[in-house]
Amino acid sequence: MKYTTFNREQFNVFKQPMFFGENVNVSRYDMQKHPVFEKLIEKQLSFFWRPEEIDLSQDRSDFQSLSKNEQHIFLSNLKYQTLLDSIQGRSPNIAFLPIVSLPEVETWIETWAFSETIHSRSYTYIIRNLLNDPSVVFEDIVGNKEISARANDISHYYDDLITYISIYQLHGEGIHQIKGKAIEVSLQLLKEKLYLTLVSVNVLEAIRFYVSFACSFAFAERSLMEGNAKIIKFIARDEALHLAGTQHMLQIMANGKDDPDMQKIAYKLKNQARDIFIQAAEQEKQWAKYLFHHGSMIGLNSTILEQYIEYITNQRMQTLNLEPIFEKRHNPLPWINSWLSSDQVQVAPQEVEISSYLIGQINNDVYKDEFSSFSL
Amino acid sequence: MSHIIKVIDGLLFIPKKELSILEALESQKVQAEYQCRQGFCGLCQVKLLDGEVEYTMEPIAYTNESNILPCCCKPASDIVIQLPQGCEFLN
Repeated sequence: MKYTTFNREQFNVFKQPMFFGENVNVSRYDMQKHPVFEKLIEKQLSFFWRPEEIDLSQDRSDFQSLSKNEQHIFLSNLKYQTLLDSIQGRSPNIAFLPIVSLPEVETWIETWAFSETIHSRSYTYIIRNLLNDPSVVFEDIVGNKEISARANDISHYYDDLITYISIYQLHGEGIHQIKGKAIEVSLQLLKEKLYLTLVSVNVLEAIRFYVSFACSFAFAERSLMEGNAKIIKFIARDEALHLAGTQHMLQIMANGKDDPDMQKIAYKLKNQARDIFIQAAEQEKQWAKYLFHHGSMIGLNSTILEQYIEYITNQRMQTLNLEPIFEKRHNPLPWINSWLSSDQVQVAPQEVEISSYLIGQINNDVYKDEFSSFSL
Repeated sequence: MSHIIKVIDGLLFIPKKELSILEALESQKVQAEYQCRQGFCGLCQVKLLDGEVEYTMEPIAYTNESNILPCCCKPASDIVIQLPQGCEFLN
């Protein structure tokens, strides 16, 4: 099915599924099949922030005072965060926009990916502030074995979906000979790949990011690298919202409220979805071991971080109605919640109480007689 | 009028009116999960077995039909809730 940037067909949007229906045409938001995406867009827009709003001058001297193993933990963690947001800044657009069929979902994907680019810009801002030569960090993201193993785990679902969508758009369904290889493409197969990709993105935002957040906040708990933690706090708030986005997509599919094929696929692939969670938790535990292989830091070591991975994995699986895989436990890092709760995100001084502050709100219900007691 | 919150296998109490259900549970030293406290992360969700709640902020997180987000709602009648990890108290 060829992609068109403006579909000339007339169709009822309420009959379209989120993905693989008609190509979108008019970007209208007055009629919405799934209004939750509009709420997500509004929330994300109200969260808008820029890294330059946060002062990092103290962080540079804090960084110099860290021990070698702590510097390793801090920089490796930043590298991992940079990798995750590099992938998330582009992939939702490339993978999901060509197949999306509802304008509110399309705009949510764009808004979501855009906010990830702010995160990537933040890492450059942080690294530039810490090091005279930021290339040392950025170049290692591609060269470092541990990091590139992560990159492969994360991007292969996306890459596979993107390849199959390209073939589908050029050749449609059927068995196609491409570079001497017979490749079968069917809508069913594409939908299965989409489902698994969404689960893997959900895992990325639900588990992988939180391992890195824990490290960033552990430094700040000791009053070190606090500027960095403030930025990560904004990033964590955004990620919780993105997570809500993929949870909604997956649940809308599983409930059959959207595409009956997707409901069957969600049921059929339940075990595979579970495996994605299991694998990700294992990979993150490996990463925790790598982070602390030169030694741990005060307040955090690989054992506690691994317990946190188990705790957060269980929580996220429960939300998606999957049976938790690890032993039930309480949050082993209870202090992290004060960093993750968004009612405590410090915003501009005039809006201390509400972080989802809307700019340009004017009260129009003021009438002339309200000034009657004034005299000049 | 004040409403009663009953937590299955735990306690029964009348919370202060201004508190969200999550804050009310915390005031009783009940171990409650939370993260964003603004209705979008979904971590705090509990099962509402009986009664009605009123949201003070629009909830965005996905919840199962019988679940509520205690971080952003208050009781609108006497309610009975069940916590996913059971009712445990902070030391």
